[in-house]
Amino acid sequence: MRRTLLWLIPMLCLWLVPAFADDSSFPDTPGQDPVQSGEQIYMQICQGCHMPAGQGAVGAGHYPALGGDAALAAWKYPVLTVLGGRHGMPPFGLPATSLALQELRTVHLSDAQIANVVNYIRTSFGNHYPDMVSEAQVAALPHPGRR
Amino acid sequence: MASDSGQDGLTRRELLRRVGLMAGGSVMYQAMNSLALAAESPWKGPTELKGAPPGASVLILGAGMAGMTAAYELRNAGYKVQVLEFNNRAGGRNWTLHGGDRYTELGGETQHCEFDPGLYINPGPWRIPYHHHGILSYCKRLGVALEPFVQVNYNALLHGSKAFGGKPQRFREIKADYQGQVAELLAKATHQHALDSLVTREDQERLLESLRGWGALDSDFRYVAGDVSGERRGYLKPPGGGLTARPESGTPIQLDDILQSGLWRGVSSGDHYDMQTALFQPVGGMGRIGEAFGRELAGLIRYQAKVTSIQQDAAGVTVHYDDASKPGVSQTARADWCLCTIPLPILAEIPMNVGEQLGAAIGAVPYASSVKVGLQFKRRFWEEDDHIFGGISYTDLPITNIGYPSTGFHANGKGVLLGAYIWGLNAMEFTSMTPGERVQKAVEYGSQIHPQYKTEFDNGVAVAWHRVPFTQGCYGMWTTEARARHYDDLCAIDGRIALAGEHASFIGGWQEGAVTSALDAVGRLHQRAVAQGASA
Repeated sequence: MRRTLLWLIPMLCLWLVPAFADDSSFPDTPGQDPVQSGEQIYMQICQGCHMPAGQGAVGAGHYPALGGDAALAAWKYPVLTVLGGRHGMPPFGLPATSLALQELRTVHLSDAQIANVVNYIRTSFGNHYPDMVSEAQVAALPHPGRR
Repeated sequence: MASDSGQDGLTRRELLRRVGLMAGGSVMYQAMNSLALAAESPWKGPTELKGAPPGASVLILGAGMAGMTAAYELRNAGYKVQVLEFNNRAGGRNWTLHGGDRYTELGGETQHCEFDPGLYINPGPWRIPYHHHGILSYCKRLGVALEPFVQVNYNALLHGSKAFGGKPQRFREIKADYQGQVAELLAKATHQHALDSLVTREDQERLLESLRGWGALDSDFRYVAGDVSGERRGYLKPPGGGLTARPESGTPIQLDDILQSGLWRGVSSGDHYDMQTALFQPVGGMGRIGEAFGRELAGLIRYQAKVTSIQQDAAGVTVHYDDASKPGVSQTARADWCLCTIPLPILAEIPMNVGEQLGAAIGAVPYASSVKVGLQFKRRFWEEDDHIFGGISYTDLPITNIGYPSTGFHANGKGVLLGAYIWGLNAMEFTSMTPGERVQKAVEYGSQIHPQYKTEFDNGVAVAWHRVPFTQGCYGMWTTEARARHYDDLCAIDGRIALAGEHASFIGGWQEGAVTSALDAVGRLHQRAVAQGASA
């Protein structure tokens, strides 16, 4: 019985985290995004807020436009933003199996995926930054939820 | 688990301690809830703030549930209250789309809701559990009529796209067959003395008796086709009257099939504290609450006011805002105190002079991606063909839910379903689509569950919360770690500014979180105002 209950503890965590305001009975798409190319990741995730042409949007607040954004000149800024999120934007660099990923109901992108999508953004929407970000460069930066 | 201090098994206290050690307080809190040590609701009955200092004023930012709760109470206490609201209506996320409504999302797409009169969809909250005493109390005081919200419907469906050949199963059958066979297993284990070290002999007798009742087992503790299980799982041919009266039992679905299908996940949907019967909905849509509040506070709310800066000084708070009806001219509002309910993704971008701790807290809460789709059909086929009256079908498809209306049963004419309620990666994908594509996808997925979709679909609307201009997300998502670091700072009064909203609560995404957070904040603000009022 002791063994059974010890096994139960991680299960409890997985189960009990979603004290959410909805009751989707089946788990969300497990934390990992299978898509690889920067363009596809952008179209699947980023353009929901930053819009299809990277033009951003303005309402009570705003989503920054990505075309011509001077903050993209240094590659670390967009990489850190995708990894750790910024303000209301969810982080995408949490470990795939972390509790925090479930608590935030966000998505895990691998270092390679993050490099791909940042490279896509920095070479699209009128941006022409020639320096490509590598998976290793992403891996070397601090990740949320990593000790 | 039978006793609190068994030698072999973990005690409940020890289990909680380990959960707490592993995952932090909030998970432990949730574990406690699930282990029936639920905390009391913070609601202590109607707040009756009294005795505002003469002339004292409060500026409230946002006319959602939190802002209007605060405005209502502070006005009644004698404060001079003004509310600034970005939208041209009261309610915020308390919102109903009816036929004739128009909604423009970020990016500029405008949807015209074409539902028939009386039909609607709630893009935000759609149900109120009986223990959300705060929001219910305002419904009562504001005269908002309520009706039952059907959460659990035994005749609704559980659907796994890869289970049972993709054929949806009735909740009733999955629940009865799962529970019955689990009971049978436990009864077997008891008879085989596998539980002897855990349950006393006398309690084993009681356990067996309870398993028979709980699982609908026969006299030999078996869960088999027949009258006993039929009274739970229903019949192949239900009992009737006259010569066609004789019932025919169906065959229970085998436990291994249920386990492999994953449909057991849907069985406990109505057991969650927030989903337990009774639940309510306002007659005519959730937005009725916001409308009633708006009428109650008429004259105090300035609509179409977009806040552009929040600055406090020793004597008060000045807020600059743009009035959509007077473009190009920045307007100013000032009061002694400010209660700010602006959703954090928007507030984080507004210049505001608050301390470092509150500033960090405002920036530490990402907002959830979520999408709801409302679909109108030419007839209520789910009632006419499938005998589903209210409740929810669950699926592992991206739409996750099909929610059936809890009102208008047997009505002729058209009907509106909640055709999707989406989260996570799927919600991000749906948000990235145009509204028309979202509706089309919801119809495609839903037709795997109800083939009638293909011929009966009429029109639909889709709200993706990351594209909602006044929130930029569905609701504030806290990690255990972020809550430990920032939550108290977010709720603490900073000089003359206090925050409130569901994001400043432990009931994230629920209106009750907004209401109780506002009441907590105005209580503290009032104390401080009274203390300073006397010295000023």
